[in-house]
Amino acid sequence: MSTVLDTSTAEVVEDKIGESMWSKAAYKFRRDRAGMIGLSVVAFYMLVALGVGVGLWGTEWSDNNGQKWEGVSSQYWFGTNILGQDIFERAIFSTKTAFEVGLVVAVISTLIGAFLGALSGFFSNTWIDEIILWLMGVLDSIPFYLFVAAIAFALSGFAYSMHVAMIATFWTTTSRLVRGEVIKLKNFEFVEAARAVGVPQHIIIVRHILPNTFHILLVQSTIVFVGAIKSEVILSFLGLGVKNGVSWGLMIAESTLEVQAGEFSNFYAASVLLFILVMAFNMFSDALQDALDPKKVST
Amino acid sequence: MLQNSKWLNGLLQLIVVMSLAGCNAAIDIDKALEGYLKGPAKIYRHSLGGAPSSLDPLNSATLYANYIVINIYDTLFRYKYLARPYEIVPNLAVAMPEVSEDGLTYIIKIKKGVFYADSPAFPNGIGREVIAEDLIYSIKRHFDVVNRSQGSWLWDGKIVGLNEWKEAGSNYSDVIAGLKTLDSHTIKITLIAPYPQLIHTFAQGFSAFVPHEAVKHYGRELSVHPVGSGPFKMLRYESSNYALMIRNIKYREEPIDLEFEGYDPILHKKYGIDKIAGKSPPLVDALKIDFIKESASKWASFNKGNEINFTGVPVEQVEKILSQKQPKPILTPEMAEKYHMFNTTETGFVHTDFNMRDPLIGYNDDPVRDKRNKLLRCAIRSAFDWKERNDVFYSGIAVTFPGIIPPVVPEYDPELSNSSTLRNLDEAKRLMLEGGWTTDNVPSLVYGGVASVATRQMYEQFRGWMKDIGYPEEKVIFDSYASFGDFNKAVKQAKIMIFGMGWGLDYPDAQNTLQLFYGPFGAPGSNSSNYNNPEYNRLYEQTSTMQPSTERTQLYREMNNMVIDDCVTISGLSRENIFLWHKNVVSFTDAQIVGGFHLKFVDMLDEETK
Amino acid sequence: MRKILTGIPLILGVTLISFVLMVHFGPDKTYDLLGKNPTQEQITEVRHQLGYDQSFVVRYTKYLKELATMDFGYSDSSGEKVSSILVRTIPVSLALILPGFVLGNLLGVILALIAAYHRGHWIDKIIMGVSVMGMSVSFLIVIIAFQIIFSSSKGLDLFPVRGWDVYSFTDYIRYVTVPTLASIFVSLGYNTRFYRAVIVEEMGRDHVRTAKAFGAHPIELLFKSVLKNSMIPIITRIMFSIPLVVISGSLLLESYFGIPGVGKVTYDAIISGDQPILKAVIGLTAIMFVFTLIINDILYKVVDPRISLK
Repeated sequence: MSTVLDTSTAEVVEDKIGESMWSKAAYKFRRDRAGMIGLSVVAFYMLVALGVGVGLWGTEWSDNNGQKWEGVSSQYWFGTNILGQDIFERAIFSTKTAFEVGLVVAVISTLIGAFLGALSGFFSNTWIDEIILWLMGVLDSIPFYLFVAAIAFALSGFAYSMHVAMIATFWTTTSRLVRGEVIKLKNFEFVEAARAVGVPQHIIIVRHILPNTFHILLVQSTIVFVGAIKSEVILSFLGLGVKNGVSWGLMIAESTLEVQAGEFSNFYAASVLLFILVMAFNMFSDALQDALDPKKVST
Repeated sequence: MLQNSKWLNGLLQLIVVMSLAGCNAAIDIDKALEGYLKGPAKIYRHSLGGAPSSLDPLNSATLYANYIVINIYDTLFRYKYLARPYEIVPNLAVAMPEVSEDGLTYIIKIKKGVFYADSPAFPNGIGREVIAEDLIYSIKRHFDVVNRSQGSWLWDGKIVGLNEWKEAGSNYSDVIAGLKTLDSHTIKITLIAPYPQLIHTFAQGFSAFVPHEAVKHYGRELSVHPVGSGPFKMLRYESSNYALMIRNIKYREEPIDLEFEGYDPILHKKYGIDKIAGKSPPLVDALKIDFIKESASKWASFNKGNEINFTGVPVEQVEKILSQKQPKPILTPEMAEKYHMFNTTETGFVHTDFNMRDPLIGYNDDPVRDKRNKLLRCAIRSAFDWKERNDVFYSGIAVTFPGIIPPVVPEYDPELSNSSTLRNLDEAKRLMLEGGWTTDNVPSLVYGGVASVATRQMYEQFRGWMKDIGYPEEKVIFDSYASFGDFNKAVKQAKIMIFGMGWGLDYPDAQNTLQLFYGPFGAPGSNSSNYNNPEYNRLYEQTSTMQPSTERTQLYREMNNMVIDDCVTISGLSRENIFLWHKNVVSFTDAQIVGGFHLKFVDMLDEETK
Repeated sequence: MRKILTGIPLILGVTLISFVLMVHFGPDKTYDLLGKNPTQEQITEVRHQLGYDQSFVVRYTKYLKELATMDFGYSDSSGEKVSSILVRTIPVSLALILPGFVLGNLLGVILALIAAYHRGHWIDKIIMGVSVMGMSVSFLIVIIAFQIIFSSSKGLDLFPVRGWDVYSFTDYIRYVTVPTLASIFVSLGYNTRFYRAVIVEEMGRDHVRTAKAFGAHPIELLFKSVLKNSMIPIITRIMFSIPLVVISGSLLLESYFGIPGVGKVTYDAIISGDQPILKAVIGLTAIMFVFTLIINDILYKVVDPRISLK
């Protein structure tokens, strides 16, 4: 009888913490003007990306019907590139590519980071923790571009080798943060209570600890998202990035020669769109962080 | 805090000092040529669009490596400085070889009193005389089991006893029957079958005279410490960055005979070539070659005036510097004021191949499908727009030609119909129809290439053309390879369906391009398309031992037609190279087969005589 | 000493993973080294010379041996000794990256101090806003734009476009300026934000508040109380960037500005599959990382004696 009672109180306490934190955060976030602007810009980009995904627009990105380097016109809003392709269409299509890269990398690396971080935090100072820490240390000390290039070669021909490489390197930060938080949470009353009454460990992790790291995961995944989009540009420039379709990185890579010939359309289109999205995401991410963790000053 | 920055400052200074450890190039040159300079050192700064990987003659497989190797080392023959088409003449050889009636024995005499440049590799650091045995040693090196040679194919299976020597374990003291010295300065070569291209192989870096002392002294690092008897001597070499060479002060005195070199006042006077008559090469004190891959950087460096003296014009600049493109490129007045220009069609060509070993597009055991595949290939070729490719990627100044005999070789046929290079959408659609190909049943086309901007753009252009004949976008796939090595490997393993290739001729003879489609040279050989036509193969074998003649040319052209009729490759285009150099440089540059032989003839004008 | 021992599994891990990825699956150099129309026999021969035909264990053990003796043999491409390549290129990379690195961090700390001191004020907001903007620009775009603006004949035409012909201090300044500006531009946003967070946290502590309340001189306060106590996270950040900065941080700069540093050499090695160079670079990075960990611990102790070496 008492057992049941105890666990339920623990859950109630926990839920209360959760609820109040989230509603407070939502309130705080709504009042953050920069954050709201960021969010709306991101939402707009997302709509554009979705539209490309379902084929509403950006469908003519691969047609080369125009002349080489046409100027801005009503037909070609941003002009055309060397092949006579519509730069506007390509820039729009790239939005989808960016979101694809960002989402895939952010979601998967956050999941891995959360899982391994929780595991290593919960079993801190055991061999499980040691192994995970070792793995993180190893991955962190391989230079990023070397690592990505190596994966690109190892998985040559695989369209998502860039994604795999980014996930493999980006999860460690999330994991370290989660680990720290879990170690803190482990000693909280409700967790100790649950453990005292013999709730199995995996249930404790899944039901009591992980939900309380959500705010970290949320913020961290926005940071990873931005990191992924920015890395894509550099990797595509180095020839290690996006394989199918077109991306801002590929457009910028194309533009490096065009710029020398005095053609800036590709460069401007891709870099401005990229800048606005990353900037908006950064603002959004900052506001989120402020809202979710009042003690913490944004880093 | 303050302490911290002081520490960092100290470290910064230390590192700056470390990176300054090398001294000033000009001072180094002065020091190296002390007592041999009449005034301030004349330095010519050349540029190349890529870097050699190795300077060992064993591996002088690239134009870049060959460029340097033939200037540091000596070769038996060279090409005339100015004469076009190219004419081969003696270099280290005294005269052209005495060839026996049956074309099997060659006797070549080399010049006496030629010495290797001084190097720590020799006893007391003094270079010894070059002897006939050195050539034999140098060719043996290519067949040494422990060496990685990229040039052995030149003599593989051609010289009596050479392959056997390798099989027996390549013992340098063993004598090869077909490769002997008659005396210290005479070489006798015996061939298994006539090999008309043999003398051309002796004008390549692969056949450079290497002193065994240097091989022993430097071991594998011979590749960065070349030691030869050529016009220049390496002073400092940073692989993938630059090569700084100085005049070899022991180089033989051979006053320039302009008539002999093919001087034509109409063509060459404007470059000031007449000024070098009677001088003895090399004419500059130092030669620096910068390897600059990024065309924009190279262009900017050239325009600075005090950096590189020579550049190839990058495609993206062509429109801007020319006032006229056709029929003949002419510089804009302000460019002509500043620079000398020379334009020439490359001795090579680019083409897009189908992999005939791929049953989806090439040979198929099912005779019906085999025929349909051919129709598909022909349709794709008809949809291919060489003119647009030329306009977009080669500034519209390249030359397109039908088949695989490019305009630069003597066997080229200007009368041949160019219909195979013209875009004809109606014909393409008709061929698709005839083959029963529709949007739904066409096989996916996999276009392979290196993940570079240009390759990707060529693919996108190709995809656009395919869409015009009803190919759905998702059925034209780009298969990208992160490096050229991996791409090359995939080609050599016949794994790619469609791919763009380029070929630079080793010697000016169409045989060198026809071998690209000779069946037995299929992957991993240089026949990347894996074309295998018994009739073609037979003709190739027949012509390979023939001396140049109208009969041989006729057979060459027949072979060319077979390749065109079978739609094996979409070909071809020879790029037009435009070279510019500063007005104070006296040069007639050619970055091709003869690549690099001109460098010893390059002179710099003094300020006042300019 | 114990630290060095704990570093061994890390080195083993790094080398093992990189070895599997880069050397075992990496680009194949065989066909680069072959002549025209090679026979199967020649292919086997070259693969043998490159050691591709040996088993994984043999090759990895050989690598560890090379790492222990610091003898990495010769480059597969140029035939030059790997050690002489590194000796030639590492100083160039250091000279290239160091000014940007030092100034980027120094300016970051200064801006962070200003922002933190005026926390919530418009000065703070401007600094932070600009930082976010700086963070949002891709490094690649900065490099392209700066090269056009400062070096090309279309822009200010003040500096050389590429290369590294450094023979004197003036040369050095000429070649290093634009890359330095680019790397400062890109890192400044991140640095400022990070350091501001650290400093703000420190300023929230009681003793600082008390000192402020008692009207301590602002500069003195910042330097004496705040900065001194913020040294640990600052040092950690700087220390941990060093190994990566030295080896790979300058890859983009070097390839775009044509500077013959170790980053470019490494990248070329990746592309061409020059395994001896890759093995050396990866191994050295791992070792440097372990040393960084150790030095970092020692520095901690110097800055804050309360922390004992574990």
